[in-house]
Amino acid sequence: MPNHEPPPVVIAEGVGHVTRYFLRQVGSVFWLIANTFEETFERIQHGRLPFSAASFFRHTERVGVDSVPLVGLVSFFLGLTMALLTGYQLQRFGTERLIPGLVAIAFTRELGPLLTGIMIAARIGAAFTAELGTMQVSEEVEAIEAMGIGPLRFLVAPRMLALVFLMPCLSTVSNMAAILASSLVCKAYFSIAFPYFFDLVKDSLLIRDIITGILKSVLFGLLIAAIACYRGLTVKGGAAGVGASTTSSVVTAITAVIGFDTLYNVVYTTFYPT
Amino acid sequence: MVELRDLHMRFDEKKVLDGVSLKVEPRERLVIMGQSGGGKSTILRLILGTLRPDSGSIFFKQFEITRLSRRKLQRVRRHIGMVFQYSALLSSRNVRDNVALPLEELTDKSRSEIDKIVDEKLELVGMGDSKELLPEELSGGMRKRVALARALVLDPELLLLDEPSAGLDPVIASVIDELIISLSEKSKVTSITATHEMDSAFRIATRMAMLYQGTIIEEAKPEEFKHSKNPVVAQFVSGSTEGPILEGSLDAITKK
Repeated sequence: MPNHEPPPVVIAEGVGHVTRYFLRQVGSVFWLIANTFEETFERIQHGRLPFSAASFFRHTERVGVDSVPLVGLVSFFLGLTMALLTGYQLQRFGTERLIPGLVAIAFTRELGPLLTGIMIAARIGAAFTAELGTMQVSEEVEAIEAMGIGPLRFLVAPRMLALVFLMPCLSTVSNMAAILASSLVCKAYFSIAFPYFFDLVKDSLLIRDIITGILKSVLFGLLIAAIACYRGLTVKGGAAGVGASTTSSVVTAITAVIGFDTLYNVVYTTFYPT
Repeated sequence: MVELRDLHMRFDEKKVLDGVSLKVEPRERLVIMGQSGGGKSTILRLILGTLRPDSGSIFFKQFEITRLSRRKLQRVRRHIGMVFQYSALLSSRNVRDNVALPLEELTDKSRSEIDKIVDEKLELVGMGDSKELLPEELSGGMRKRVALARALVLDPELLLLDEPSAGLDPVIASVIDELIISLSEKSKVTSITATHEMDSAFRIATRMAMLYQGTIIEEAKPEEFKHSKNPVVAQFVSGSTEGPILEGSLDAITKK
């Protein structure tokens, strides 16, 4: 019987190509972040605003205000589900009063930033890539560059800053929606009154959990903006290219958010095990 | 004003420029001619510094474009205006905001000063009454004129025009050409135009250069160019199918 398996050299070569591609992409995204900062601070050093306030607020409105219903609703439903599922298990041991703390810690430290990151990567990351990609294929980005305007400062910086500022806010919305939902479940199914529920939440939450969540969401915002803008600015191949880059941007950003979250948790628990 | 020295450029496996050297004197209107996809736009982008050559040098005044840092290049670009083939107007901004953009971003002028300059430039290109329109509401010729106004808004010393009259009707094409001529005569702007539109090229040019297979094969004044002995130039000017330009590809078409 003929052997159809590729020889080890071919496999090693394939792994090499993939690794090189991956490292090049990671390097390019970090290059984009570094150069955006450089262009922006250079402008500030000259005593000028890096971008117009109108441009910044247009993006914050889209990233933040317009995303509140989605983030709030999804987190609310997940908070409900989580409280219900854990509640029934904990009830068997008579420990249902642990639900408030469990939901509060899980969302504040982990699920809030993570869910918000995933939703924003899909909603806003896709929009940023499609928008910048269309500008790239219609030579608008090159025209901006040709005028002597830094495209990273002009196009990327306001988007990046909007995401970095608004991600912690959206993450807080997500936490609050989930805690509110679990308080409703606790009241309806496990007879935990609202004042007692919020006392339990306050007792179980540590400032460290809140800071961890906020820090994570800031980094997720930076990561999503950088990936989305990088994919948009490197679009090739017209309308089809914009479509392909948008898909790739969403997939990459979601994977990066989840991967980064895991890495963060590993590092965090190594240095702060309790 | 501009000097290109032995430029070489490849896109993947395709050699686009193979030793291009050119000199452009102040107030000259140089027209670079050549086949579509022959590297004319690439030359303009190299002068602007949005592309880097594989080898060779480009000088604009005392600056060596090929060696400038990103920051210095951005400063030099303020002295160069570029009109792109498809105009490249920012689709989310109306005509006035498109033209005002370089002034808003690169100067400390007040709103009223900016408005005054924008009005002046739009009047110059005959677009004074279309300030509130979005690019999608403009025709091809109108877009080109707005792009020209935007390129002129910082009073550049050098104007780069990529196919300024391509896709326009003959009347609008003539209007654009006349505008380019009057700019160089009144405002002392040097211009480099890449085109394959013969009528437009002969109207604008004070000097012409023919780019063929990655090199400049002839440089001459329009009159001399028209009567060139070079078979490639002669065929290009006459638009004939007989000659060296299509030799390979025409054989292939006939064999099919």
